[in-house]
Amino acid sequence: MSVSKSATLEPRQIKRRSEFLSSPVFSPLVTQVIIWIIFWIFVPNFGSVRTVSGIVGAASINAVIVIGVTMLMISGEFDISVGAILGMSAFVFADILVNGGSPVLAIVVTLLVAGSMGAINGLLTAYTAIPSFIVTLGTRSIYRGLIWVVSGGTMIQVTDRLPIQDILNGRLDIVNNLFTQANFTTAAVWAIALGIIFQLILTRTKFGNHVFAVGGNPGAALSQGVNNKRVKITCFIITGLLCGLAGMLTFSQFSTAQVVTGANVELKVIAAAVIGGTLLTGGFGSIVGGLLGILLIALLRTGTILLGLPSDNFEAIVGVTIVGAALLNDWIRDRLI
Amino acid sequence: MPQVTGNATPLVKMENIVMKFGRVVALDNVDFDVRPQEIMALMGDNGAGKSTLIKILTGIYAPTSGQIRFEGEVVQISNPRRARALGIETVYQDLALVNLMSIGRNFFLGREPICQVGPLPCLNMSCIDRDTRRSLADIGIAVRSANDKVGTLSGGERQMLALSRVLIVHPRLVLLDEPSLGLSPLVVDHIFDKILDMNGQGVSFLLVEQNARKGLSASHRGYVLELGQNRMSGPGRALLDDPRLQKLYLGG
Repeated sequence: MSVSKSATLEPRQIKRRSEFLSSPVFSPLVTQVIIWIIFWIFVPNFGSVRTVSGIVGAASINAVIVIGVTMLMISGEFDISVGAILGMSAFVFADILVNGGSPVLAIVVTLLVAGSMGAINGLLTAYTAIPSFIVTLGTRSIYRGLIWVVSGGTMIQVTDRLPIQDILNGRLDIVNNLFTQANFTTAAVWAIALGIIFQLILTRTKFGNHVFAVGGNPGAALSQGVNNKRVKITCFIITGLLCGLAGMLTFSQFSTAQVVTGANVELKVIAAAVIGGTLLTGGFGSIVGGLLGILLIALLRTGTILLGLPSDNFEAIVGVTIVGAALLNDWIRDRLI
Repeated sequence: MPQVTGNATPLVKMENIVMKFGRVVALDNVDFDVRPQEIMALMGDNGAGKSTLIKILTGIYAPTSGQIRFEGEVVQISNPRRARALGIETVYQDLALVNLMSIGRNFFLGREPICQVGPLPCLNMSCIDRDTRRSLADIGIAVRSANDKVGTLSGGERQMLALSRVLIVHPRLVLLDEPSLGLSPLVVDHIFDKILDMNGQGVSFLLVEQNARKGLSASHRGYVLELGQNRMSGPGRALLDDPRLQKLYLGG
């Protein structure tokens, strides 16, 4: 048997794009900067610390959820029950506190409940053929109904703020004392810290690599030995836990927990992830981008108010931004990948 | 080409394998083996059952009945991880590459090198970059950085990448599903050179190849499937010259 001796393949130099330019963060960052500049020019009082800290504060609670949702979307799945998990968490947290439970107990139980709700979403998605969008469409209603059952339709309200509320979502006076009229909250610290941690987990660990693979090409991931089911269930549990924290932050801010708490958060966070450069089809995105996205939505909200526009326009403006940002992200990505 | 003794225990042996999908019989009592340090060609028309057989060996399907022996021991290849643990590696027809991910991350997918940073196992990025670039340079592809997206590589380069990532782990048996599909003759020659080279170092190959001439001339033995059943088997060269194969498979 003989095989012809072939010529060596000529080594081919592959043109290298800058790593930063082709990372998922670049295009949402550009979009963000452009819009901040536009608002700074046209909106009165926009650059003040009070306004900026208000925007950051408004974004912080949802930012925590966006972290989980972004990771889930990168793995190729959706969770639209996040608002309901938030609502249940806020209620459970408040309920334990007003009944004299210690803050530690309240936090642990809330996280257990929220994590379990996420786990149910994950198990149903992984072990049935039902797409996660449909599974969580169902659990969205089921979980909301559970809040009705658990609360009996009542609302919990606390008049004297508890210390734990100030730790979770109180005034961040270390920073506030540096600026006049600043209104930064501790929730922002949680959001940023968790954002950084999970961005590192996503980009610097084996698990993170698997998340991208499962979303980008599940068949390839499976054939290379990745445990697709385990990766997805883990992402759902992480999302659940983050919603648990968001619920605690919500109660800590408003001292109120009721059945409708957290309603309609889901579409906002998915929009933030998309604006932040995460592909709906999975396999690409960044948590930092998602945080930028939720910041942008809060920015638009504040901007419309300060511009004196009717607040009905806010929804339309967000809609235009979503489509515009998605197009811009695609355009920039095609130029660079 | 290294000699293959006929009496050695087969590396992998499939006995009475039946594979049914509902009422469709994809494989019908197939008996099949690959010997140590052998290159075996698996031939057959579309729908003959070649891909199914590969997927059983690689752990994606479990056979409806029958058993598989690896080095004489009965094994359950229940998932791709188990197959890899045995030393069975596969290069799929679609290459199993994640286009949106970088070359390096694709190269090490499923067996990422780790370094401990405090309590956390973190990806060893410099190791990924270095080893990927070295392995690619070995097969003639020079990249500035393993962070470039895999989508920037040409078809031939992707094929070579998929092949070199299984060879780096020193497998016992490599399953190749249509390695020459869509590639230029020069690249195909290069791939088969690599296959022969690794065979010389002790790796067995199971080759599913549409290009019957190329496949059989590179193989020690060939095995022809038709409609899920074994039709012919024998030494590669002999099969190539066999007029029945001409009629059955090569079309005239």
